[in-house]
Amino acid sequence: MRLRLILMVLSLLTFLSTSIGGYLYYHNLKESALLEAEQQAEVRVEMLRINLSAKISENTRPARVLAGIPEIVRALENPRPAPLGHANQVLDHFNQNLEADVCYLMDHSGLTVASSNRDDRDSFVGHNFDFRPYFTRAMQHAPATYLALGTTSGIRGVYSSCPVYGTNRTIPLGVVVVKAPIERIEEELGLGPEDIILVTNPLGVIFISNRSEWRYQLLWDLSREEIAGIARSRQFGEGPWRWTGLKLRDDRYVLDHKGRRYLMNRTRIDNYPGWDIIHLRSLDAIAKVVSEPLIRITGPVVFTASILIGFSVFFLYQKASQEIVKRKEVQKALGDSERRYRSLYNHTPAMLHSIDSSGHLVSVSDFWLEALGYRRNEVIGRQLTDFLTESSRLYAEQSVIPDFFRTGICQDIPYQFRRANGEVIDVLLSAVAERDETGKPVRSLAVSIDVTARNRAERALQLAQEELGRYTRGLEKQVQERTREITGILRYTPDVVSIKDRDGRYTLINTRFEAILGRSNDEVRGLTDTDLFPPAVARQFRENDLKVVRERRSFQFEEPMPHPDGTIHDYLSVKFPFYGEDGEASGVCEISTDITEVKKAQNQLRRLSASIMAGQEKERAAIARELHDELGQVLTALRMDSVWMAKRLEDRDPAAARRAHDMCRLIDKNIEDVRGMAIRLRPGVLDDLGLVAALEWYTTDIERRSEIVCAFEHAAMPVINEAVATAAYRIAQEALTNTVRHARASKASVGLHAEREHLILRVRDNGRGFDPHGASASEGIGLAGMKERANLVGGRLRVWSAHGQGTDIRLEVPLMDTGRNPT
Amino acid sequence: MIKVLLADDHSIVREGLRRIVEESADMEVVAEAADGRDAIRQVETAAPDVAVVDISMPGFDGLEVITRLKGSHPELPVLILTMHEEAQYIVRAIEAGAMGYLTKQSAPEQLVEAIRKVLKGHRFITDEAAELLALRIARGTHKQTPLDSLSMRELQVLRRLAMGYTNREIASAYGISIKTVDTYRFRLLKKLNLRNNAQLSRFAIQNQLIQT
Repeated sequence: MRLRLILMVLSLLTFLSTSIGGYLYYHNLKESALLEAEQQAEVRVEMLRINLSAKISENTRPARVLAGIPEIVRALENPRPAPLGHANQVLDHFNQNLEADVCYLMDHSGLTVASSNRDDRDSFVGHNFDFRPYFTRAMQHAPATYLALGTTSGIRGVYSSCPVYGTNRTIPLGVVVVKAPIERIEEELGLGPEDIILVTNPLGVIFISNRSEWRYQLLWDLSREEIAGIARSRQFGEGPWRWTGLKLRDDRYVLDHKGRRYLMNRTRIDNYPGWDIIHLRSLDAIAKVVSEPLIRITGPVVFTASILIGFSVFFLYQKASQEIVKRKEVQKALGDSERRYRSLYNHTPAMLHSIDSSGHLVSVSDFWLEALGYRRNEVIGRQLTDFLTESSRLYAEQSVIPDFFRTGICQDIPYQFRRANGEVIDVLLSAVAERDETGKPVRSLAVSIDVTARNRAERALQLAQEELGRYTRGLEKQVQERTREITGILRYTPDVVSIKDRDGRYTLINTRFEAILGRSNDEVRGLTDTDLFPPAVARQFRENDLKVVRERRSFQFEEPMPHPDGTIHDYLSVKFPFYGEDGEASGVCEISTDITEVKKAQNQLRRLSASIMAGQEKERAAIARELHDELGQVLTALRMDSVWMAKRLEDRDPAAARRAHDMCRLIDKNIEDVRGMAIRLRPGVLDDLGLVAALEWYTTDIERRSEIVCAFEHAAMPVINEAVATAAYRIAQEALTNTVRHARASKASVGLHAEREHLILRVRDNGRGFDPHGASASEGIGLAGMKERANLVGGRLRVWSAHGQGTDIRLEVPLMDTGRNPT
Repeated sequence: MIKVLLADDHSIVREGLRRIVEESADMEVVAEAADGRDAIRQVETAAPDVAVVDISMPGFDGLEVITRLKGSHPELPVLILTMHEEAQYIVRAIEAGAMGYLTKQSAPEQLVEAIRKVLKGHRFITDEAAELLALRIARGTHKQTPLDSLSMRELQVLRRLAMGYTNREIASAYGISIKTVDTYRFRLLKKLNLRNNAQLSRFAIQNQLIQT
């Protein structure tokens, strides 16, 4: 905090000294500028005086020349139009050459008789200017120069007059005047806007100025009489002539009504008594001349310096703060570490103690007290050896402690401490010495480790190891037993068992496999399938193995394997991967069952089943035909007879006729029953008209019998053999029966078309569907039967269904395959 | 006298038929055949005005007989008389060239009438069969039209709807439920991309499914 204050004061002082220096510098500059301005003004006024004097008296000589010209004289002598005209021409000529305002001629009474502006609106001709001093003076033989505002033209001018003499030179005939414009003189003053130039008459009326607003004002405050005098002279128009408000302050300065100070220089005009040239210059402007460049140049410097000072103060402040914080942290860390050390010392769960060089305890840790069962005040200041057993005490006093204070270190000294309750504990003591400046050990820091528990633990560990040894032996025995069992299984199982490594090399085969290969396990180990089987077989085995390894799960394969006797046996193999320690499949185990006989039986069964089915169809067809054609025909004939009878008896025996009618109805019903039975067994349409007609009839029939809309669509079909037609019809029938019975469908469709020499039958419904893999699917709704029928004609049946998704059954049968046709 | 040939493999049936035919004073059975081959022979020898033939016979069946007679005696009207009442049989028989078709069950009531009708050159078939036939012909001659995408049943319903039948009438005509008819109607509109029955009618007329 103190540092901050110092920095703050320092920066403030820097700022102050800079400011004061700046101000002094500025003031000095200003003074010199003022001096310079004064000198400049003097020079300027002097120049103006010369200039103005010259300008004012410029036309004196030309006026004199003009007065001597005969045409002028003649015009006054003989004031008739002709001589006046000549005079006018002369006046015009002079006016033009002199660039004057007007040149004119007055007679002795002051009346203007000729003028260069005779044709203008403000012509002087006819005007009398005898009140003008330049006239009166000329008439008294003195050529005059006069500054005034024109009474006729309202234009300021410098009037130069000269008397015109005739032959008699005593009295002038008149006066010739050249009036030059003031504006030109004003323009030629050539001064900057900061300078104010005033030309004043003896009373202080400002007549000429580079500031138009100053004209005709009064430099000083005048009395009323004086102002009336000005009005009377008609020299400066008609007024009003106001006071400019300027006041003189000592000799050099004037103040305006706003309090602005001006530096003033004045001088008289030559040949024009009483008229002054006054030069005013604003002190502010002078100061500005100084300060502007100063500010322009030094402003950024000062600004940059301030910023730099600000930055450096800030930077220094930051640095100082950091330093302070760091120092505080170090102090705090020191304090913390000391506290930690003390706390560590006291709370470390280890027995720590320190003794001084005389062997007295100077400090002990809490744990030390706890381990020995004392309080701190019972211990500090006592000899360490008081707490040792007798033998340890002797050992310490005679050997350990003297050695320690000589070497400064001791390690793993086996001591026995005696606890407050008399118990003895074993410790290992290690210590280092703390040394004073001279390097002499002054006190110790000792750690004692209670090894009583460790000694106990060692004994316990030994016991545990023995226990583990016994357990391991038990385990080994079990493993041996299992191995014996598995070896037994491998030896006696009729299945072929083998284990291969990842690269397909055999590592183990069982007795059955040895028998088949005619080689022992040892001979086969390390060989691959390529070494044992024909290439095609080996390739198939290897492919299956790799699949197991790749997908890391078990698979079932049907693998044909050649036996030494040349026969090929079918095996059903289960293959599963073994995993190594890295989690990758390290090998494949294979258990294969010979299913050659089973397959043979299966095929026989299939053939049997096919022939049974075909026989059944044949039987059904025969019965259906018998029923329909034979029994049906007989019934029909009976019906004809009964109708005939009824007709015959109608007149003669109405009762008998009624009876005959009844008979007829009974026969009708029987015919319907017989037809129904026959159709259920096998529809004649299928045999007589073929599959398309049969399905068309059947779907129509479904619609009649149920609420289901059953559409049948088909393409043009080639000739279909009877077995295929029967299978397709029965499958469609079964599927639609399911639809009607179980599906709760509102729509069903049957599609039939040929595609690449195959018949495609599709039966679909929008019902509630079922799980095609469930047991009920194959049994309850006869999926198995349908598949069997499809198989028997060499076809394939696929079923798509799911709960709530409807059912879609697709049969695909090769149209040309008659090889398996059982009929 | 109208000379009738009866071809049926059941004598008992022939007997019944003969009785029915001969009930009419202007008809007589001039020949009887027990199988197809015999029937053809009998036509040659007995020169009947009309042949009444069963479909299911040994040797070649009724359909075969019609085909053959169409070749040799195109003028001879053949009336199929059979146990089968499925429309498919009727269609097949008419396609083969039969002029009429009736079931043996209905013979006592209709045989005589049927014989007279076919002799006059008219067809004698049930309404349903007639319709099926017409539709089959219509579809056969209109390949590559939207009709192709319709099943026979859809065609039937389309035709009846176009003729102005109500759903109830159509349902009872085909022995199906009203709901089924409605479903067919919906499917027809969707398949043919039509909006209402009026459009259905126009479509049916354009495709000559009904005559105006």
